[in-house]
Amino acid sequence: MTQTVGEPGPRTGSRTGAACTATYVFAVCRGGDPATLTGLPGQAAGNPVRLLPFGSLEAVVQDVSAAEFGEETLRERLTDRAELERCARAHHAVIAAVAGSAPTLPLPLATLYLGDERARAALREDERRFLAVLQRIAGRVEWGVKVYARREAPEGPDRSATVAPTRTLTRTATRTATRTAARTPVRTTAGSAAAGAGAVDSGAHSGRAYLERVRGARQERERRQQAGLVAAETVDRALRGVAVASRRLRTHDTTLTGERGVQLLNAAYLVADGHEREVAAAVAEVRADPACQGVEVEVTGPWVPYSFVDGGE
Amino acid sequence: MTERTAERPITHAPSTPSGPANLADILERVLDKGIVIAGDIKIDLLDIELLTIRLRLFVSSVETAKKAGINWWETDPALSTRAHREAVDEENKRLRERIAELEAGAGESRDKPRDAGWDESRSHSWHHVKEAGGR
Repeated sequence: MTQTVGEPGPRTGSRTGAACTATYVFAVCRGGDPATLTGLPGQAAGNPVRLLPFGSLEAVVQDVSAAEFGEETLRERLTDRAELERCARAHHAVIAAVAGSAPTLPLPLATLYLGDERARAALREDERRFLAVLQRIAGRVEWGVKVYARREAPEGPDRSATVAPTRTLTRTATRTATRTAARTPVRTTAGSAAAGAGAVDSGAHSGRAYLERVRGARQERERRQQAGLVAAETVDRALRGVAVASRRLRTHDTTLTGERGVQLLNAAYLVADGHEREVAAAVAEVRADPACQGVEVEVTGPWVPYSFVDGGE
Repeated sequence: MTERTAERPITHAPSTPSGPANLADILERVLDKGIVIAGDIKIDLLDIELLTIRLRLFVSSVETAKKAGINWWETDPALSTRAHREAVDEENKRLRERIAELEAGAGESRDKPRDAGWDESRSHSWHHVKEAGGR
């Protein structure tokens, strides 16, 4: 996947003076409007983001400092969280801008050539592939849909009836266990005979209570998990109904989702441009679906079809 | 930011430069997606991707999820700067093995502080994505 050229070799198109610049390629498009690129900072503020024609297409490129984009330097920079964010947003901003005027194939972050001529040569080799994918995504956009488990699952009447007693038992058992753990005999702490008897009774049952609690918690967890998966599946099915293609993306870790809860589905859908209404209707429908009451559905877009440009369909 | 309020059935985290789209949404697209062509200078984005996975493992092993979430992988000096190429490769290898291990035994590690019990579904999705991404 990764091509690393350790020895740069002959620098086509680069004279001694230009040797310190590299050509950064953001995207490939067909009939891009140069005006949409005006003023974009790209990856090197001050250098214009421009169109580089090759074959029947154009690449969206920018001159960048070869020193700043050397393999080792770049790796270090992108390992820095703030720098990675800046680069990623700048890359995305250029792609989004050009996509406003022409069918656009985004390239992944940091595709670089040692000069325009080398970029042109490499791109020309792939022209046929670019044309095929452009054909597929032209007039289409990507919508992102994520499904999160709600933090507090809504309590159904049947459930609270079965869960509540277990909870009571749980609390008693825990308290008993804590006392025991604190090396204080339960009976001594209780003070009165009645209370002591109660504590003993509770102690005798704590083993069973504990098992019940474990089983209850497991059942609850399985139930929620199952319900979550059903909901995610329902959402996915509904969105696939309005899409020409779909892709599952990796679900985000709770660390990234923050307070939104566990992510059950992260998917992308390729939808005809202008079909926002259909997407909205599908989302509204699943939100109203009883199977989806325990989840939240988040929609983002429209995106340039990042998730649909690589590989065959 | 995106919103998910019931009153607004659909929200736009615009992919236009003016909209502050969620960083995770952007990263998963510009790192993982897009049409790949061989460049003259190209770093292995998979390394970057693995850093995020590393973060996940890190977070699940230490109970400082929130803090680590803010600092991301900066908290790991070994990978923040000047990581020697071979060291990174070695690390990648171990991480892959670890992931395979976690995927195989996802049901057993239930001690995550915030979302215990969702591990299975998560690794299921992950698996799914790996398959999809491999096409």
